Amino acid sequence: MTLFLKPRTIATAARILVIDDGITMRLFYRTVLEAAGFVVEEATNGLEGYEKVLARPFDLLIVDINMPKMDGLSMLRAIRRDGATMGVPAVTISTESKDSDTLKAYQAGANYYLVKPVTPETLVEVAHLMAGVPA
Amino acid sequence: MTMTHAPRAVINQITISNEEFAKFCEFFYRKTGINYHQSKKYYVDRRIIDRMNKTNSENFRDYFTFIRFQGSGEELQFLVNAMTVNETYFFREDYQFEALVKSMLPNLARTRRATKPIKIWSVPCSSGEEPYSIAINILEKWDQADQWDIEIYASDIDSKILAEARAGLFGARSLARVPPALLSRYFVSTGEGSYRICDELRGSIDFSLINIVDPMQTRKYTDIDIIFCRNLLIYFDDIARREAVEMFYETMSPGGYICLGHSESMSRMTSLFVPRKFGDTIVYQKPEE
Amino acid sequence: MGLVKGNVPDDGLGRDPAVCPLQPKLLADLASDDPGPRRAAARALAAYPEAATALCNRLEIEPAPSVRAMILTTLIKIQNPAIAARLAALLRSDDVPLRTAVIEALQEMPDSAALHLRTLLNDPDSDVRIFAVNILGALRHADVPGWLAELIREEPHINVCAAAVDALAEIGDSEALADLDTLRARFASETFMSFAIDTATRRIRGQ
Repeated sequence: MTLFLKPRTIATAARILVIDDGITMRLFYRTVLEAAGFVVEEATNGLEGYEKVLARPFDLLIVDINMPKMDGLSMLRAIRRDGATMGVPAVTISTESKDSDTLKAYQAGANYYLVKPVTPETLVEVAHLMAGVPA
Repeated sequence: MTMTHAPRAVINQITISNEEFAKFCEFFYRKTGINYHQSKKYYVDRRIIDRMNKTNSENFRDYFTFIRFQGSGEELQFLVNAMTVNETYFFREDYQFEALVKSMLPNLARTRRATKPIKIWSVPCSSGEEPYSIAINILEKWDQADQWDIEIYASDIDSKILAEARAGLFGARSLARVPPALLSRYFVSTGEGSYRICDELRGSIDFSLINIVDPMQTRKYTDIDIIFCRNLLIYFDDIARREAVEMFYETMSPGGYICLGHSESMSRMTSLFVPRKFGDTIVYQKPEE
Repeated sequence: MGLVKGNVPDDGLGRDPAVCPLQPKLLADLASDDPGPRRAAARALAAYPEAATALCNRLEIEPAPSVRAMILTTLIKIQNPAIAARLAALLRSDDVPLRTAVIEALQEMPDSAALHLRTLLNDPDSDVRIFAVNILGALRHADVPGWLAELIREEPHINVCAAAVDALAEIGDSEALADLDTLRARFASETFMSFAIDTATRRIRGQ
């Protein structure tokens, strides 16, 4: 997957946690982000995402909103309340595009909001910007 | 993955491709929380192929459709049984006992008066290794153990295994991880490598025959502070699991903790509890209302 | 050390409804100020299908996640088409956690939920259609792959189609392959859609 793109060196690779209940969506994010040199882990719902964030630090979270067990907004609120995890940057990527949806995401603690489907270029650009690693 | 093993996974000409394996793993993980890496493919394939033979499935696709759409979920349960080995021995998954004495008990002790007992429930307790391990860990490693009344409840649905737990007689395999000093402190040798747990410990645990899906039978458990429920809920179907975790929630004190097996996660079951990280383990806390 | 003694609460749990008719107290407890009695009532009412409407009414205004969860468990146990209809209406709610919990509950009552899916799949709101696809994809019903393939022929919204492709990646069969190819052409400029269709196709072929 990364043969033709020069991966970032391991030492500086930013770690991204992708939290989405869609199988193809997670694989898409993983493929695109790994090709751009990021280290990617996956979680299939908000609660699993929260557990992974508790277990080890990440440089960026990519968060779907509608997910079983715990939705993305509830997960962000939980992470923002917890002193150990509150600082991690998060982008929500959802199907909902109303202004009220965007506002709710920012209120829950999202740093950025994208509407599905996203292009690989946008995803990589936002990841570089938000994970604190220059493009 | 290893070349030496690959040909042996071909039984009756059935093979499972990498894509089929990936599809299976995603489904199985969603249903059970058990996650298999590609390096476990040989182990997983062998067990799937065994179940395919027993269900007369001609190819992986037929078998996957069968487990995916079977209304009763019965075949999925057979597969879970085939994939998991349920062993019990003293100090199994002892990082959780570490969390018990270093984090959970001290946290509980900080926020309550000593007049109320601390209640711990081991379910299922099987042949008793788990509740006795809990008792020994508390006595050995929690410096406030003397200042509290600690009640340990242990229950199982199987009356035969519960009788063994009550008898407290253990062989070498169960005791392999017990250091000699603790063996001599808490056990009495009965010869031929067997040991009986000392009477003080035996008498300190309240053993009961309980089916946890029966609300009448679980009503005696109230204000439980810590539940150990390891490697049980993966064997339940969706609705039974839902009812079981809700029953646990109702029996627990606010702020109480629940510990699951190492391959289990509440994230597949319910958001009633809040995950907490203690050392290397995650346990689940009932929120204060 | 020893058994906990004391009065066992009279909560109706485990009662035989033929012997013990529904007590007005249980319904009153559903509206208690304290979530404890509300949860106990929600669980006990599983023995009384006639309480379904009261439970649905409560669910719509219930603020505590733990009480919501127990109401939904009871509704799953009672399950019937009328309950599924009440739950389906909540997919339009702005309350994200409630909506999420309702989707899961509908997935656990396949026969009742299936009756409402066609209406939901034709809802003018694309998000409601996505939720309907999420429910459809999780149903244990052999006709689901066919319904999903049919859906991607007509559905105009890319995200609804993407949800269907995601489900087909797990449960699709070779009959869906032609429809997936047609869908690829329809959204040719969307990288994600091509990627998802490639993935689903690979999974269906098992290669």
